[in-house]
Amino acid sequence: MNKIILPLFLVGLLFFSCDSLEYSPNQSFDRNSPTNLNAKNLAKLAQNTNPPDDTLRFILTGDTQRSYDQARDLINLSNKYAPKIDFVILNGDVSDFGLRQEMEWVTKIYEDLNVPYVTIIGNHDLVANGLAAYKHMFGELNFSFVYKKVKFICEDDNSREYQFNGKVPDLVWMEKELQTDNSVNAIVNVAHIPPSSGDFDRNLELPYEKLLNKYPKVVASLHSHENRDNVEYPIPNGVPFITSNAVTNREFLYVEIADGKLIKYEHVAY
Amino acid sequence: MNTLLTKFLFAVLYLCAQLGYAQDLETKEHKWYVPSSVVLQHAGSIGMFNLAAGYKLNKSGKSTLDIGYGYVPAKYGGDLNILSAKFAYRPYGIRIKNWGTLYPTNPGVFLTYHAGGDFDSTWDDDDYPKGYYWWSTAFRPHISLSTEFKLDAKKLLPNLGVKSISIYSEFNTNELYGISYIQNSHDLDITGIFKLGIGTRVEF
Repeated sequence: MNKIILPLFLVGLLFFSCDSLEYSPNQSFDRNSPTNLNAKNLAKLAQNTNPPDDTLRFILTGDTQRSYDQARDLINLSNKYAPKIDFVILNGDVSDFGLRQEMEWVTKIYEDLNVPYVTIIGNHDLVANGLAAYKHMFGELNFSFVYKKVKFICEDDNSREYQFNGKVPDLVWMEKELQTDNSVNAIVNVAHIPPSSGDFDRNLELPYEKLLNKYPKVVASLHSHENRDNVEYPIPNGVPFITSNAVTNREFLYVEIADGKLIKYEHVAY
Repeated sequence: MNTLLTKFLFAVLYLCAQLGYAQDLETKEHKWYVPSSVVLQHAGSIGMFNLAAGYKLNKSGKSTLDIGYGYVPAKYGGDLNILSAKFAYRPYGIRIKNWGTLYPTNPGVFLTYHAGGDFDSTWDDDDYPKGYYWWSTAFRPHISLSTEFKLDAKKLLPNLGVKSISIYSEFNTNELYGISYIQNSHDLDITGIFKLGIGTRVEF
């Protein structure tokens, strides 16, 4: 009797557990890993006709890291806002340890959003094999998109993770992206690390701030990473550099843009 | 990568040669560095495939230490080169007739080392302020629980020249998954942090 039941039991157990097969915590993907989520979400956004007005409304949050419970609450709250907001931005540090599994846990939470979301890479996502995992799951590190005449320029500015090599953030790429025609009436820059942070390349801080102030369509530069909310004007009366609080501190940034102007930004606690 | 692999293959060849030699002189005392088994494992966080030399830590073989090398090809989320040291304890076994033993619950611990520039055992002070990241990306401690089914090869397959053949399945988790679960017990499911591997052990 044992001869039959035992192997059957073992084979059955394996059969039901196949999704748990892991080659390494550092493997950049497995056969169930989602791919190209930013592109897929932006395609969804392009088809979105709700709400029908011209005002752009979005929520920006950063540093999910290890705060899944708090992220879940944020998604529930965002869904209450959903008829009003166009999308959610997760501004870096999707993961804490740069592991594929963490990124998948976070995407599992964010896929319950009623609106599309995009992610930007944070310094923690670049740890270990994180870069490969992030690229596979979300896509390019520097990318841009236009929605309701607002252009979002999103870039990797995690200079410390590149040993301050002077190439991150890529100002040449940014300057190219800042050239726009009449189809764009406002530009928002989004990157994980605020330029005033010690983790931003000191040699690039001023050029970065000057570059974003050179183009009058730029209405804001949005950042996270610092685990506190903050607003700075590196150039007086220029572009505001707004830093959002972290998911773990249960606070997000709500932003409205209309007619080429930053109408409102608000740090909302939950 | 290539030098590491080459070194490892030479080590395996050497051990196999020793193994053959040791078998000829079975009556002689077992040298400590000569493994008593060869283990091949699929998945289980130590590579897509991991080949290991198994050592008995006591005479009964209830405690074992397996030193292995695992590889994950680029096509499957690598490429990754992993060295592993696995300890397992088999507290009790259920004899099945005279040809097999089932070890239903075997706790274990193991340590992995991911080789290569992306993985740090210590964070370079030039690049990071002290304590910036607190964990090692190269070394990963795991805990495991396995079920092993051991066939007495001398009884079943006397011509093969091996003592026993085992198949096993093993669930493991690591400290980073553990912390993530403890801090998010509402959102994460405990089964989600345990990862599966299956393997076979041939004892000489």
